[in-house]
Amino acid sequence: MKARISTIVTILIFFFTVSVQAQTFEQPVLISSAGQSADVKLVKMLAQRQGLDATTILMAKPADLTGFKTLIIVPGFSSKGLGAAGISQQEEMERVQTLIKSANDLKIPIVMLHIGGNARRKGQSDAFNQIVAENSKAMVVVRQGDEDGFFTGISKAKNIPLTLVDKIAETATPLGNLFK
Amino acid sequence: MIRNHLSTIIIFLVTAAAGVIAAISFGKMHHPEELYPSTFLTKKGMLSDYFDGIKGTNGDTEVYLFDSGVEGGTALLGGGTHANEAASFLASVVILENLKVTQGRVIIIPRMNNSAFTCSDPMEGFPEYFGIPTDNGTRTFRLGSRVTNPLDQWPDPLVFAQYPSNQQLSGFETRNLNRAYPGRPDGNLTEKVAYAIIQLIDKENVNIAFDLHESSPEVPIVNVIVYHEKYEDIAMGAVLGLEMAGLQFSPETSPKNFHGLSHREWGDFTNAVPFLMETSNPSMGRLRGKTDVDLVLRGYCDNYKKAKETGALRIAYREDTGEPIEHRVGRHIMGFKELINSYNYYYPENQIVIENLPDYDLMMENGVGKYLNN
Ligand SMILES: [Zn+2]
Repeated sequence: MKARISTIVTILIFFFTVSVQAQTFEQPVLISSAGQSADVKLVKMLAQRQGLDATTILMAKPADLTGFKTLIIVPGFSSKGLGAAGISQQEEMERVQTLIKSANDLKIPIVMLHIGGNARRKGQSDAFNQIVAENSKAMVVVRQGDEDGFFTGISKAKNIPLTLVDKIAETATPLGNLFK
Repeated sequence: MIRNHLSTIIIFLVTAAAGVIAAISFGKMHHPEELYPSTFLTKKGMLSDYFDGIKGTNGDTEVYLFDSGVEGGTALLGGGTHANEAASFLASVVILENLKVTQGRVIIIPRMNNSAFTCSDPMEGFPEYFGIPTDNGTRTFRLGSRVTNPLDQWPDPLVFAQYPSNQQLSGFETRNLNRAYPGRPDGNLTEKVAYAIIQLIDKENVNIAFDLHESSPEVPIVNVIVYHEKYEDIAMGAVLGLEMAGLQFSPETSPKNFHGLSHREWGDFTNAVPFLMETSNPSMGRLRGKTDVDLVLRGYCDNYKKAKETGALRIAYREDTGEPIEHRVGRHIMGFKELINSYNYYYPENQIVIENLPDYDLMMENGVGKYLNN
């Protein structure tokens, strides 16, 4: 009985590993925001420290995708960020929708990094969180942002691999592993 | 007739006595409390060493230098830009009294606006002093004003035209050191102090410079690291390091067209990498109740608890614990350490290595007094 359980567990682990490993992403990487929160700046630094060949364009447009093989989007609404960029929430949403559509058309896979926790959930953030999560091929999320199972739900429904970590700094390793 | 004279004499004597008591009390404020630097201090100088235009004025202030003797970078730590922000001054004092530098140099100015320590803000009801219990009794510290003493700089103009940006601010801000940078040698006292600090940064080749502050819990810029856009990576690296240590700091870019502030003008006018940090201090807030030493130190206020619970405002206030002084001082010290770590990561050829400063957890456990030398 014990042996059977361990066999099942091994098989499950094997399938899990295979399904995760199937998701490898290529460089160079374009990093952009959805909602203009400052979180994208932290992701930029995490990517640098993982040695990724990454370029960050906060307000990336479809034309910016040229030459990139992966698109990382960091969702999270910030009225101050939008103010600094001089655009409205609706304009930002339209930009994000167009960028995602282009990436999908060009078969450039999208990786979502949600690192802002509670502060970047619900309210005006969730529309950005949802569209990015649903269109991603992998998600890395700081656990506090998934307390209500928002991202886990999308992950299960759409069969998108999700890595949950406790701290922002801990997203670095899973982020790097996506490209190995 | 005699009765008339008698009452005149009594009124005169009472008034004179009140005047003498007030004069003594006011006079005391002009004598800064003694500080006890760690044994690793290598030199104590004055800000006027860098610009003698402030010599003999209340703007002159002590400058403490820790030189490791090992080649490396130079950091400047400024406390007390706003003398009513207790944790800003106290964090610089704790660092002064514990610091050991093993590579590079650290310069500390605990009272950046010394004149502001000689008065209190009118109409605010702030206590004049606060005491920190230590192993040897109680250390008493001044709680001063946000701005330069009007006795040192008067009158305020109706509208303050910031130099050299010409940005218009309310007249009162003409005495605010953190609107005065880069300052000028022939300006008012606050501008002269700002100018002296810029001279120090230049002459000492300061690489990284800190300006410590506190804010009301209800303002948007609180629990933040404000950084100059040229040095975003250093700020982000520190935010991550602090997060690993369990402390949440929000990174904020210095606005490009808001002039006179340290995080803007030090970055524009000198080679230093500037950072400004803010902790949350309920005794400075508009929603506060009775303003006493307990509120300054324990940082606990029912009004803020209620306000936070309504959810109507974004308030940087911890409902259960409040914002006690050891938490605020501990955050400043950790921010200082992590920003230096992050600076070292990007400038490995010019490192600054510091030791002996208490971690946040120890500060919370033992209180500030444990880390004062007397
Ligand atoms: Zn301040």
